[in-house]
Amino acid sequence: MHFTTLILSSSLMTIFLILVLPILGTLSPNPAGSLCIKEGVKTAVKLAFFVSLLPLFIFLNEGVEAIMTNWEWMNTLMFNINITFKFDLYSIVFIPVALYVTWSILEFTSWYMHNDPNMNRFFKYLLIFLIAMIVLVTANNMFQLFIGWEGVGIMSFLLIGWWFGRADANTAALQAVVYNRVGDIGLILAMAWMAVNLNSWEMQQLFSMATNHDLTIPLLGLVLAATGKSAQFGLHPWLPSAMEGPTPVSALLHSSTMVVAGIFLLIRLSPLMDNNPLILSTCLCLGALTTVFTATCALTQNDIKKIVAFSTSSQLGLMMVTIGLNQPHLAFLHICTHAFFKAMLFLCSGSIIHSLNDEQDIRKMGGLHQLLPFTSSCLTVGSLALTGTPFLAGFFSKDAIIEALNTSYLNAWALVLTLLATAFTAIYSLRVVFFVSMGYPRFNPISPINENNPTVMNPIKRLAWGSIFAGLLITANISPLKTPIMTMPFTLKMAALTVTIIGLLTALELASLTSQQFKIKPLSTTHHFSNMLGFYPSVIHRLAPKTNLILGQLIANQTIDQTWLEKTGPKMVASANLPLISSTSNLQQGVIKTYFLMFFFTMILTILILVV
Amino acid sequence: MNPYVLSILLMGLGLGTTVTFASSHWLLAWMGLEMNTLAILPLMAQHHHPRAVEAATKYFLIQSAAAATILFASSTNAWLSGQWDIQHITHPLPTVMITIALSLKLGLAPLHAWLPEVVQGLDLTTGLVLSTWQKLAPFALLLQISPEIPLLITSLGLISMLAGGWGGLNHTQLRKVLAYSSVAHLGWMMVVMQFSTSLTALALLMYVIMTTSAFLTFKLLKSTDMNSLAMSWAKTPSVTALAPMMLLSLGGLPPLSGFLPKWLIIQELTKQELGLVATVAALSALLSLFFYLRVCYCLTFTSSPNNLAGVAPWRLESKQISLPLATSTSLSILLLPISPAILSLTLPLF
Repeated sequence: MHFTTLILSSSLMTIFLILVLPILGTLSPNPAGSLCIKEGVKTAVKLAFFVSLLPLFIFLNEGVEAIMTNWEWMNTLMFNINITFKFDLYSIVFIPVALYVTWSILEFTSWYMHNDPNMNRFFKYLLIFLIAMIVLVTANNMFQLFIGWEGVGIMSFLLIGWWFGRADANTAALQAVVYNRVGDIGLILAMAWMAVNLNSWEMQQLFSMATNHDLTIPLLGLVLAATGKSAQFGLHPWLPSAMEGPTPVSALLHSSTMVVAGIFLLIRLSPLMDNNPLILSTCLCLGALTTVFTATCALTQNDIKKIVAFSTSSQLGLMMVTIGLNQPHLAFLHICTHAFFKAMLFLCSGSIIHSLNDEQDIRKMGGLHQLLPFTSSCLTVGSLALTGTPFLAGFFSKDAIIEALNTSYLNAWALVLTLLATAFTAIYSLRVVFFVSMGYPRFNPISPINENNPTVMNPIKRLAWGSIFAGLLITANISPLKTPIMTMPFTLKMAALTVTIIGLLTALELASLTSQQFKIKPLSTTHHFSNMLGFYPSVIHRLAPKTNLILGQLIANQTIDQTWLEKTGPKMVASANLPLISSTSNLQQGVIKTYFLMFFFTMILTILILVV
Repeated sequence: MNPYVLSILLMGLGLGTTVTFASSHWLLAWMGLEMNTLAILPLMAQHHHPRAVEAATKYFLIQSAAAATILFASSTNAWLSGQWDIQHITHPLPTVMITIALSLKLGLAPLHAWLPEVVQGLDLTTGLVLSTWQKLAPFALLLQISPEIPLLITSLGLISMLAGGWGGLNHTQLRKVLAYSSVAHLGWMMVVMQFSTSLTALALLMYVIMTTSAFLTFKLLKSTDMNSLAMSWAKTPSVTALAPMMLLSLGGLPPLSGFLPKWLIIQELTKQELGLVATVAALSALLSLFFYLRVCYCLTFTSSPNNLAGVAPWRLESKQISLPLATSTSLSILLLPISPAILSLTLPLF
C-alpha cells in the first residue's frame, strides 16, 4: 500500500471538502448558520491551508506526485471524460500559496467590508471562486480545467460588479466577461482540436500523442485563451477596469489567482509547446509587448489601485515572456512569489483607501509614513519585492527570468522591451511610495487614521513575511526542472539590477521635480499617451461596437427592410406591373381603326415570319 | 322584342353554330359563322341605345372582316391543294391566315381590342351569349384544323393570358372585366391546343359554365360596375355568399372546379417539356386572380358590420328564372372532385 500517495490524495480531497462545506451550509434554510459565515469561511480556508501543508511537505520530502481518477463522468465508445485530479509540483505548491493568500485576504475582508449588508454573500462568492480556482489548478483533463476556467470567469464578473448600483462597475464587469469570452474561444478551439485529433482531453494522453501532430492550431488557441484570461496586450483593458470591484476582489482575483490562470494553463500544457518555435516566439513577443505597454501606462496613472493593476498586468507579461523562453518552471515560480507581494500591495492600498475615507487618488494622499507607519512600510517592502530587490521574494523569480532572457538566443527586441519594463517597474513603484507615504499630507484631516485593528494588520504582516521569505523558501526546496545557465558576462548578470537602479534614480529625479517648475508647460503628448492607456480602450471600445451597430443597421434596416422587402420584393411587383397594366388598357381607344390595324399587322407579321 | 322575331333570331343563332359543327366543307363552315353574326346583331341592338348600336356596329365590322379572311384563306387553300376539306389544310399560308382570322373572331390577343368595347355596350344577357355561345363555333374550327405551327399558337396563347391579366386590372366595369377574363381563358385554351385538343375542349366547357354563372349573377344583382356590387349583401345574401366562390373558380383556385383545366393544362405542358411556358401561364393566372379577388372584395368585404357603401336598395321580387344560375354556380364550384368524369366528357371528342 502506498501510504504516501494515499495521504497525499486524501489530504487534497479533504481540502476540497473543507472548502465546500461552508457553501453547502448556506444552502440550508436555517438562517442561524449564515450569520457567522464570515468566520466560518475564514476558518475553513485557514484549516485548508494547514491541511495543504501536509501534501506539500510530503512532496518536498519524497517528490511524490499523484494522479487521481475519481469518477467516470461521461464515457462513450470513443471518448471518455472523467473527474481526474493531478497533484504534481505545480498544483501541490500553488494550493498552499493560494490558500495562504486567500486566508489573509479573507481576514482583511471582514474589516474592509464590515459595513456591507451582504457581506455573507461576498464571502460565499470568494469561497466559490477559490474552489473554482483549485479545480482549475488540479485538473488533469481539459474539461475539468474548462469548468474551473469558466467558474473563475463568472465569479470575477459577479465580484467586479459587486457594487452594481454604480454604472462603471457594471461596465467593468461586462468588459471582463466579454474579454474573457474572446479568450475562451481560443480555449474551446484547442479543446475541439484535441478532441478531434488526439481523441482525448486527458493531459497524459495529450502529451504522449501530440508529438506526431502539428500543434500550431491548438497552441494558438491556448495562447489566445491566456491572452484573454491573463490580460495580455490586445485583450488587456478589462484588468484595470476590474478595479471597480472591492479591494479584496482585486487582491484575490486580479493579482494572485485568477489572472494567472491563463499563464497556468500554458505552464500545464508546456510540453506541447516544446517543439513549436512559432508559438514560443509569439508568447515571447506578446509578453514583451504587454509588459512594456502596461508599465508605460502605469507611469502616469493617479489611482492607486490602477497603478497596482497595471503592475499586475506587467508582471503577467513577464510571465508570458518566461513561457516564451520555454521556462515554465520559472514562470510558475514567479506566479507564486508574485501572489504574495501583489496581494500585500493591494491590502495596503485597501487599508490606505479606507483610512482616507475612500480616497483613491494618490495626488490626494501623502505623509502617510507618519500616520500609518506599518502599512507604508509594508507598501515599501512590497514595492521592493516587486522591483526585484536582491533576496526578497521577487528577486529569485524575476532575476532568474531576466538572466534566462539574457542568456538565450532569442528575440533581442523582446529582451530590450523587458529590460525597459523592469526599469519602468522601479519608476512607478517609487512614484506610488513617494506620493502616498512621503511628503506632507494633501488630504483633509477628517477620519481618525490608525492601525489598531488586528484584523487588518495581521494579514498584512503575514503577507509581508511571505513577500520576504517565499522566494527563498521555494527556490531552496524545489530544484528547477530545466538547467539554468549559470555563467554569463558580468554586465548581463547585473543587467536587471542595473536597469532597476537606473529606473529608481530617474524616478527620484522626477520626484524631486514635483516641487520645482522646470518648464512652463509639461510635455503632454507622451503623458497623454500613457495616461489614456495608449488610447486602446478609447478606440476599441468605441470603434468595434459602432462598426457592429452600423453594420446591423445596414443589414436590418437598409438591406432587409428597405431593399428586399420593399424595392425588390413586394413593392417591386406592384411597381413593375403598373405600367404594363396601364398600357394594356390604354390600348383601347374605342376606334375601329385600332382593331383593324392590329389585325392587319398581326396577319402580315405572322405570314412574313412563318411562311416566307 | 317581338317573340316571333326573338325566336327566329335565337333559332338562327343555334342553327349557325350547329351548321359550323356539322360541316366538313369550308364554305358551309363560313356560312354557319355568318349566320351567327347576322343573328346576334339584332339581339345586340334591340334596345336601340346608341351604345348598344355602336357595339353592334363594331361587332359586325370585326366579325365580317374575320369571316371574309376565312373565305379568302379557304379559297387560297382550295387553289393550292384542290380541296375544300376543313381538316386537310396543308399549306402554311392558309393555316396562318385562318388561325389569325379565327383569333380575331374569338378575341384572342393581340386581336382582342374589340372585345371589351363590344361587351360593355351590351346588356348582360346578350353579353352572356356573346361570351359563351359565339365562342363555340370558331373553336370547333380551330380544333379541327389543329395548326401545326407551335410558335404561333403558343405566342397567341401566352400574349392572350398576359393581356387578359394586365388589361383587366384597370377597370371597374364588370362587363369589361369579364371580357378580359374571357381573353385570358382563351389564351389558356390556345396554349394546350397543339398537344391535347380534349383539354382545350375541357377548358372551353369549364369556361362556358363559369362565365354563364358570372353573367347570370350580375344580372340577378342588376349591377354592371363594382360600386353597385357593394349593396348586394342586402339584396341576396345567398348569392353574395356563393358568388365569390364562383369568381375564384374563374380565377382557377383549388378546390374549386376552375382549377381543373388549369391544372391539367400545366401538367400537359410540363410533360411536353415546356416548363417556361407553364410557369408564365401560372404566373399570369395570378394577374387575373387579382381582379377576380377585387370583385369578390366588393361583394363581400363591404357587407355589414362594415360601413355601408350605399343606400339600402329596394328589394323587389326578381323575375329571373333561378335554375340556370343555380345550376351553373354549383357546377362552377363543385366539379373538382369528379374531375375524371368531367375529363371523360371531352376525351372521346377528338
